[in-house]
Amino acid sequence: MSRAMHRIAAVSFGVLALLTVWLTFQQVVAGSTYADDPRNLRALPDPDDSRRGIITTADGVVIAEDRDGIRTYPEGSSYLHVVGYVTADASAGLESTRASDLRPLDDGSITSWLITLFGGSLEPPEVRLTLVDRIQRVASAALDRHTGAVIALDPATGAVLAYASSPTSDPNELISGDLTVSEFRDDPAALDRVAFRLLPSGSTFKTLVAAAALEEGIRPDTILEDRAEFLAPGAGQPITNITGGTCTGGDEITLREALAVSCNTVFAGLAVDMGGLVINDIAQRAGFNSVLAFELGAAISSIPTAEELDADLGALAQTGLGERDLRVTPLQMAVLTAAFGNQGEMMNPYLVDSVLTRDGSTLKRTEPESLGRLIDPAVAADLVSMMVDVVTDGTGRAASRPDMDVAGKTGTAEGAGGPHSWFLALAPADNPTIAVVVVIEGEGTGGTVAAPIVAQILNAWFG
Amino acid sequence: MSERTEAALLLAATLLVGVGTAVVTLTNDEGITIDAYVAASAFLASFGGLLFALKTWASRATRLLLPPVALLTALGLIEVFRLDRDLGRLQRYWLLLAAAIAIGVLRLLHGRGVEVLRRFRYLFLAAAFGFLLSPLLPSGLPIGGATINGSRLWIRLELGQRTLSFQPGEAAKVLLVIFFASYLADRRRGLAEMPRSIGPIRLPEPRQLLPILLAFGVSFAVLVYQRDLGASVLLFGVFVVLLYVATDRPAYLIAGGMLISSGASAAQNVFPHIQGRVDAWLHPFDNFSGTGFQIAQGIFALGDAGLFGTGLGAGAPYLIPAAATDYIFVALVEETGLAGGFAIITAFGLLFAVGFGIAIRSGDTFRSLLALGLTVTLALQMTLILGGVLRLMPLTGITLPFVSYGGSSLLANFGIVALLARISHEERA
Repeated sequence: MSRAMHRIAAVSFGVLALLTVWLTFQQVVAGSTYADDPRNLRALPDPDDSRRGIITTADGVVIAEDRDGIRTYPEGSSYLHVVGYVTADASAGLESTRASDLRPLDDGSITSWLITLFGGSLEPPEVRLTLVDRIQRVASAALDRHTGAVIALDPATGAVLAYASSPTSDPNELISGDLTVSEFRDDPAALDRVAFRLLPSGSTFKTLVAAAALEEGIRPDTILEDRAEFLAPGAGQPITNITGGTCTGGDEITLREALAVSCNTVFAGLAVDMGGLVINDIAQRAGFNSVLAFELGAAISSIPTAEELDADLGALAQTGLGERDLRVTPLQMAVLTAAFGNQGEMMNPYLVDSVLTRDGSTLKRTEPESLGRLIDPAVAADLVSMMVDVVTDGTGRAASRPDMDVAGKTGTAEGAGGPHSWFLALAPADNPTIAVVVVIEGEGTGGTVAAPIVAQILNAWFG
Repeated sequence: MSERTEAALLLAATLLVGVGTAVVTLTNDEGITIDAYVAASAFLASFGGLLFALKTWASRATRLLLPPVALLTALGLIEVFRLDRDLGRLQRYWLLLAAAIAIGVLRLLHGRGVEVLRRFRYLFLAAAFGFLLSPLLPSGLPIGGATINGSRLWIRLELGQRTLSFQPGEAAKVLLVIFFASYLADRRRGLAEMPRSIGPIRLPEPRQLLPILLAFGVSFAVLVYQRDLGASVLLFGVFVVLLYVATDRPAYLIAGGMLISSGASAAQNVFPHIQGRVDAWLHPFDNFSGTGFQIAQGIFALGDAGLFGTGLGAGAPYLIPAAATDYIFVALVEETGLAGGFAIITAFGLLFAVGFGIAIRSGDTFRSLLALGLTVTLALQMTLILGGVLRLMPLTGITLPFVSYGGSSLLANFGIVALLARISHEERA
């Protein structure tokens, strides 16, 4: 009996030792994994100290701050889809994802005691965005009374320079209690059309088809057949051009010319010739069909599989024009446009540049992160030079500037209430400092509706 | 340990109760309230009384028993008050009552010895059954059963405007251990003989197996009718361990383990709420707003704790459902950190060491089995609830001895302390 009792005692102490180790392990794992989980109310401010830090733009404009203990958004509706809001029981946007960064630094820890000891400030920190207010302001104004989105990125880093979605609403109305959280959330204005609106890309997708063609050895000056219509094998309806006839009037066209005038028959033919595998591959490399690790989350842009494309060549031809089952977010198009301007390397878009103490020292800074290579630098250079022709000689003239070359691509996608107007742009073309994507829903062609808005954004950026 | 050291440790725990309660009210900007003095006084009265009773009626009992119990009770008293002021104040009365019961037990056994309990073993068994079944009394009577949190294991006493809930299963647990120990002390030779065999497997006489099957049946019935997974596993686990120790036959452990696992898998298939607990254990974030909510909140709390915690009163343990009962350990870890967690586990370790020591050194089979059974009851109960909240196993709703809020739990566990002290006293006679 004594031996059995010793054994039971030994097992009990084994269990105690296991619990000790397991407690430590759980604390470490839970601490690192769930500290920023939006469902973790402990990341929200302590009810005893509800002070939150300020949120500012890269050019120093305050877009969220506490005024007499009330969370206030001085820029109103302009930053809703980025910054979101915070109330006693709901939060969205960066106010939610950055809740822990916005907390007062005085958390009773040894670290905060050390900070005060050396004269540092324990005021809630400043979250500084990559967004530039002078562009954001123009983007929001340009979208007013339209339905659509504007996003601008720094091609070299992926830093978001402007991020606007319309319609929008004023978070101050939620804070003041004029609207309830559910009224606010269920309003169409709550939809972030940059990251969550899926639309057919229209002809902007031709940039990716052109990139694939360049990778296959076709040169910008390679002469292709200029046809009035293209009928894919097995397809019922032939594809035609906007002109009604051929794109040049003759029967020969270079790839460069074809992109400039957005020649449908040429790109439908290229898509069918290269096949579903090539088209699907370049789109998937650009991030289609996969989750983008974006701070605010993002819908997944989608393209059918290679097998599905090859099984229906009529659909493949239309996919080459950015129609049929292709669905993209403006954010996705901005990532690949920026990659063209960054020698083919895709950068992960980010919104927060840094978190700073109120006396200016940096607590953390976002490091640019590569998403991998989309295309070779040589292919990217050829593609950008072709996109310059779109703006100088083609469908995108409305985005041109006297002081520099702008690279661009128009898109006009079928929509239920009228065509969706797209424009992708990079400027200056020889060393881009900004990539812009504009989409306006249901109002007309890319060259006439979206391109002028791009021109306004570029004006604001270059002054 | 000298008597003087023991007294000093109890005074230190009293100081902890007073200061801890004051810290809670100070953190909440209420200043130092009367609560700090009342809590410390109730604590001092309880443990002072116990100390005096031990000195008078069990003078040779080990001095190592009370200090770890005092530490655990002190931490519980502070944290329950921190989570719910009313429960915290109520817990002080329960503590006084629990100490009074423990003192009463010591007084009753004085001169008669623990041996006297053997005479009443069938009375205890009947009482235990009565206790276990009493929550099934219809609700609405002045004394009636009540369903709380989906489990019917409460008795509700209507006293004018006030109602008092009581979990009779806690008392049943102590009575059953006394019965088991007494029964096995008589029958252990028969149970240890294994005259029959099927191939290499040796078996005792079939009629000897009846009690173990009966115990399993009762445990399972507790589970079925009262939906109390924790008590069910606890009762059966303690019985199997005692059976093994009494007979020195590991076969009983193996058979018991097999019965538990087959019972568990059957229960999981039959009862959706048990399946829900398993899912919540494995994937708490899949059903965050439903079954996984409590466990997920517990994880958040552990993540926020760090080495020394947020400080008493400064964390957010009130976000966890049932923080004062099931999740008291996590609540304490959130506010006192890994250090506090280690302190609690170490205090339990000391208590178990003392309990096992009493069991092993006791020359008499009954006393030895009783001490072991009582210690294993505490150890298993602690393992079930700590393993549950730390996600080593599915969560079973059971109290953390001495720490959780709960009058019945406190009463039963102080009864255990009194019995252990008495056995310790007799063993050194």
